[in-house]
Amino acid sequence: MTAATAPARSAPPRARRVPPAAAPARLLRIELRRSSMLWLLPLLAVLFYVSTYRPAMDNPPFWNIRGDMVQSRAMLVFAPLLAGAGAWIGSRDGRRGLVDLVGVTAVPRWAGQVVTWAAATIWAELLYLAGVAVLYGVTARQGAWGGPLWWPVAVGTAVVAASCALGFAAGARLPGRFTPPLAALVTFLALAGGAFAIQDNSRYAQIWPLNVQGPFPANSYAIFYPYLPDLAIAQVMFLAGLAAAALGALGLPAPAGGRWLRGAAAAITVAGLAAAGTAVGLAGTDRVEAHGMVIPALHNAASDRPTPYTPVCSHGAVPVCLQPAYRSFLPEVTAALGPLLGQLAGLPGEPVRVTQVAVTTVQSASSNGIGFGGPAIGGRPPALYLPLAGVSLPGEGSTSAEFIALLRGQYGPSIVNELVGLPASMAVIGVNSAGNPGHAAQFAVAQALDRALNGTAPARPRGTGASPPQAGLQAAVGRFAALPAAQRHAWLAVHLAALRAGRVTLSEIP
Amino acid sequence: MTAAEVGRPAPRLAPSRGTRAPGAARTGLRLIRLYLASRRVLGALLVLVACALALRTALHWLPRTGVFSRQIPLIIEAGAAAAIGVTARSPFGEPERVTGRWLPVLRLGGTVALAGAAFGALAAGAASAHLAGGSIGLLRDLGGLVGIALLAAAVAGGGLSWIGPIGYLGVTMAAVTGAWATPWTWPARPPHDRGAAICAALVFAAGLAAVTLRGARDPAARE
Repeated sequence: MTAATAPARSAPPRARRVPPAAAPARLLRIELRRSSMLWLLPLLAVLFYVSTYRPAMDNPPFWNIRGDMVQSRAMLVFAPLLAGAGAWIGSRDGRRGLVDLVGVTAVPRWAGQVVTWAAATIWAELLYLAGVAVLYGVTARQGAWGGPLWWPVAVGTAVVAASCALGFAAGARLPGRFTPPLAALVTFLALAGGAFAIQDNSRYAQIWPLNVQGPFPANSYAIFYPYLPDLAIAQVMFLAGLAAAALGALGLPAPAGGRWLRGAAAAITVAGLAAAGTAVGLAGTDRVEAHGMVIPALHNAASDRPTPYTPVCSHGAVPVCLQPAYRSFLPEVTAALGPLLGQLAGLPGEPVRVTQVAVTTVQSASSNGIGFGGPAIGGRPPALYLPLAGVSLPGEGSTSAEFIALLRGQYGPSIVNELVGLPASMAVIGVNSAGNPGHAAQFAVAQALDRALNGTAPARPRGTGASPPQAGLQAAVGRFAALPAAQRHAWLAVHLAALRAGRVTLSEIP
Repeated sequence: MTAAEVGRPAPRLAPSRGTRAPGAARTGLRLIRLYLASRRVLGALLVLVACALALRTALHWLPRTGVFSRQIPLIIEAGAAAAIGVTARSPFGEPERVTGRWLPVLRLGGTVALAGAAFGALAAGAASAHLAGGSIGLLRDLGGLVGIALLAAAVAGGGLSWIGPIGYLGVTMAAVTGAWATPWTWPARPPHDRGAAICAALVFAAGLAAVTLRGARDPAARE
């Protein structure tokens, strides 16, 4: 055999080129399989049940209440643990003394760190979203009106990602045994401090990630109007900015990667800080409006269009119509207001129906409080417009009996005051504070009606003895309350217009 | 010296009956110092001081009543307990476990001393300020949280022991706002609640016993 006839050697197999994106993807698969976050998932599931699911089930099935809980309650528990777990995972290479070793692998160190964070975050997000899916699924099966609120879930997922990122960055920079508990502790304290700052009515504290709609109680928004996402958008921007800044800062040191990679990390860090700062600034411009928190720069006018609905009504002498989300409370509302309105039926100006309406006026109060406009009588024929916002519903901290008593106590005097022509707020003032003598007769009739209709005890004068005008007022209240209902009704039918105009004196009250 | 005398201690080296070797005390102190250094006790003490300062600062700003007045001190107590739990981690693992005759005593002493230091530091931080629950409540809550941290160290390892008190804190937050009645959520109970005190004491004793007898779980694959 000559060289010419020698069989040609087959060419060596060509090395298979690995696409640049394949290495991080493969690394992500490996990290997903061995992430320490997997060991935390059972604990997180238990905590979600205890802190969020169980309290949510103790409340009535309203999407706004459940949505509030998946943001505020779940994140109060998740964020510190995830920050600690992120620190633990981030400090892995440092604890094992592998920093130099992993620094010379094919995948740049920064990319490897980001992949490790992503794997941990994916598991945490999956668990959180699974918990939300169960909670929202059960809520839908309970017949909640409307649809689920997704913006609180978006904020929740951003909190999960940001907690993991901040903890991860702390662990990677300071790999020690005290770093994870300190990361968890600092996160807990930051969340608590944010709540405290909000209580102090600090404007910029509205960005606090557990803040759903500022001072609005959970049952007071996203019923008559769509959920206003302004604050949630700012929160997501803030949290995403924090996460980007934390992760970007990991890529700044020289061993993190090449020049381009470090440049990209620096750009991400700056962009993250800018986004977070902008979000805080935007949160500082928010204002309390009737349907939620509004940030002018982020507000969409489409959110101001009311949500259409068909009311559900009772069929008594004075029909009570509620928004369908409140369908299950129709018997209680009817029981609370029906007897009161029934006794006043037929009087001029007396409402012939009760209609639940959206809140039209709100007022910020101290300690992150809010005041809602009360009921009002208006229209032709007259109707009682009843906002139920902010009232503790049955199952939401009160029983049905307490709810009925609350409605009677809160709205009964207002209705009576409206009837006799007094300011609605005067109902809460005692006999001694009748103030304007021109209103004395109206006040006496209102007090007497309150007493007769609600069976309340007569208001006692303060101090040792009543002054002569107060004694006259009390005497008129006692006389009118002691009248038979039919006689009271007949007198009011004749004299109500004069009473409203202030032309009736105390002595003329029978 | 004959072959028969080989192996006998030299007369001048034999300790006199009833007295200890002159270097024994020094050796014991060195052992304690090395044990404390291996557990990063100095770092834990610094964390405890930081917790005391944080409590002092918080109590200056906090209202005397309300949910915040209970929750924020509790968070700081959980941080102190987590720091104590983390010190249970041994960097040596099995070799130390096999050869360390005095290890259970060192673990017991070190943990009790740290728990005492935590109580002292936090009590000093709360001095001349209003701490909801008072010193009795602080002792009960901190003791229970330390017990949880030690149990978590025995189960999950010293490095992950912080999960115990921080996770329990999450349950406690729900218990405080929901006014749970079970004594196992002792921070939500009044300071003089006997059942809550018993539960906290039981958890502390169980954690102390677990760490004393078994030590923290060795660093495993999760680390």
